[in-house]
Amino acid sequence: MAIDTSLTLQAPPESTPILLPGDALAKGDRGEPLLIGGRCTSCGERMFPRHPVCPSCMGEDIVSETMPRRGTLYSYSVVHVGPKKWNKPFALGYVDLANSLRVFSHLLLADLEIGSAMELDVAEVGRESDGTPIVSFVFKRVEA
Amino acid sequence: MRGVSVVGVGMIPFGKYTEKTLADLGWPAVKAAIADAGIEPRRIEAAYCGTALGGMMAGQRILGRIGLTGIPVANIENACSSSSTALRQGVMAIRSGEYDVVLVIGVEKLTKFGGGTLPLEEEDWEVSQGLVMPALYAMRARRYMHEFGLTSAQLAKVSVKNRSHGALNPDAQMRTPVSSEEVLASRLIADPFTLLQCCPTGDGAAAIILCAASIAKEFRSEAIRIRASDLTSGKYVSGFRDMTVPEITVRGAREAYEEAGLGPEDVDVAEVHDAFTIAELLYYEAFGFCAHGDAGAFLESGATSLGGSIVVNPSGGLLAKGHPIGATGAAQAVEIVRQLRGEAGARQVEGARVGLTHATGGGISGFDHGACSIHIFSR
Repeated sequence: MAIDTSLTLQAPPESTPILLPGDALAKGDRGEPLLIGGRCTSCGERMFPRHPVCPSCMGEDIVSETMPRRGTLYSYSVVHVGPKKWNKPFALGYVDLANSLRVFSHLLLADLEIGSAMELDVAEVGRESDGTPIVSFVFKRVEA
Repeated sequence: MRGVSVVGVGMIPFGKYTEKTLADLGWPAVKAAIADAGIEPRRIEAAYCGTALGGMMAGQRILGRIGLTGIPVANIENACSSSSTALRQGVMAIRSGEYDVVLVIGVEKLTKFGGGTLPLEEEDWEVSQGLVMPALYAMRARRYMHEFGLTSAQLAKVSVKNRSHGALNPDAQMRTPVSSEEVLASRLIADPFTLLQCCPTGDGAAAIILCAASIAKEFRSEAIRIRASDLTSGKYVSGFRDMTVPEITVRGAREAYEEAGLGPEDVDVAEVHDAFTIAELLYYEAFGFCAHGDAGAFLESGATSLGGSIVVNPSGGLLAKGHPIGATGAAQAVEIVRQLRGEAGARQVEGARVGLTHATGGGISGFDHGACSIHIFSR
């Protein structure tokens, strides 16, 4: 699968993408958003985002690995406070993916429930002080 | 290994001191601890100062105000565990035989940030994605409610209890009791938490004088012994973690009990890290005061309220006494020492002989918490 790590996705032209380590956000063949994590070739430890060193064995030979686009919502909160830049209220949660990694993410607000199926998407999550939209990956609830 | 005793404690009432500098928050607490110990200041051989956001040389800035200078001073940052970590450094220095008398300080001025959520490290990737402390604890709460049927009303009762304790503590920032209805009707912060389920923003300072147990009688007839001094860090996990079990505290509690040769049944009074309501409930379980999943019912039984079998946060805890983060660990120790001496006034836990303090620190990705420091004290 061709992976484009340009981070532009469906972001509006004047938006600011959130900087993630290891080119974590990419898009697939059909333009769908993908998260790119890492796998340590020495011990097999998986990680998201991809780091230059393995947190399990200190190995530095880390290859990119495309993450499953779907997962299960472990827990979440709808937040009304915090840094000015986030659109309020905003939802945050942990999504457990099929490869047993857990991803912390903004969530789309609709119909959140522990245990529900979630799918990766991209959305505006905030605004810089000059009004520029901030775009990042998000998870949204989908039918299981 | 040499025994370590606490011979002096002092603190300023926690609150909002927007016009004061960090140094001017700190020195009165130090002077109060020195007076409490009845010690000649020149007997203090070293100082350990915990602050998370107080900037460089916090200890020197404080001690310079009162001329307690020229001794080794170490400034220690470990987020909300900063001054409990400083306390442990002081304990280890005396145990090692390096010093006989040391000073421990905890100090923080959070009002300089103007309110709102605690500023976190932007380099951390979860923080860069929006993580704030209320959300982290809120996710724990929601998961715990999902698994064990804990209700919003039970969560609110943690605040009701700790505010009722804080009302009896002249050093508490929040000194008015609140009802469950008021807690639940306050504005939403990070659901399921309303404002009154979150610790307030504030400033404060606390100080402790430690000495070798063998010389404690020189200063006080009834010194308090430190039976355990534990510090641990979180374990980095990239996958599933059970957010209903505070792993770092479970591990720290086991280590501290083992070091003290004591168990949960021996503890009369505890100051635990109730930054948000759910936290206190999780820590009942982590310290073995009740079984996993039973914390809501345990709270409602009254066991942890004044007059109960294991009184938790008689000072009002972080929810009522306040949480100027770097000062918290030292202030918890001040409270437990006062309780064990029988000096806690209206909030005295009758006959308290064994007490513990517990401060966790840090909201960073991959960790339950970054740090956890636990101390056990006895009369």
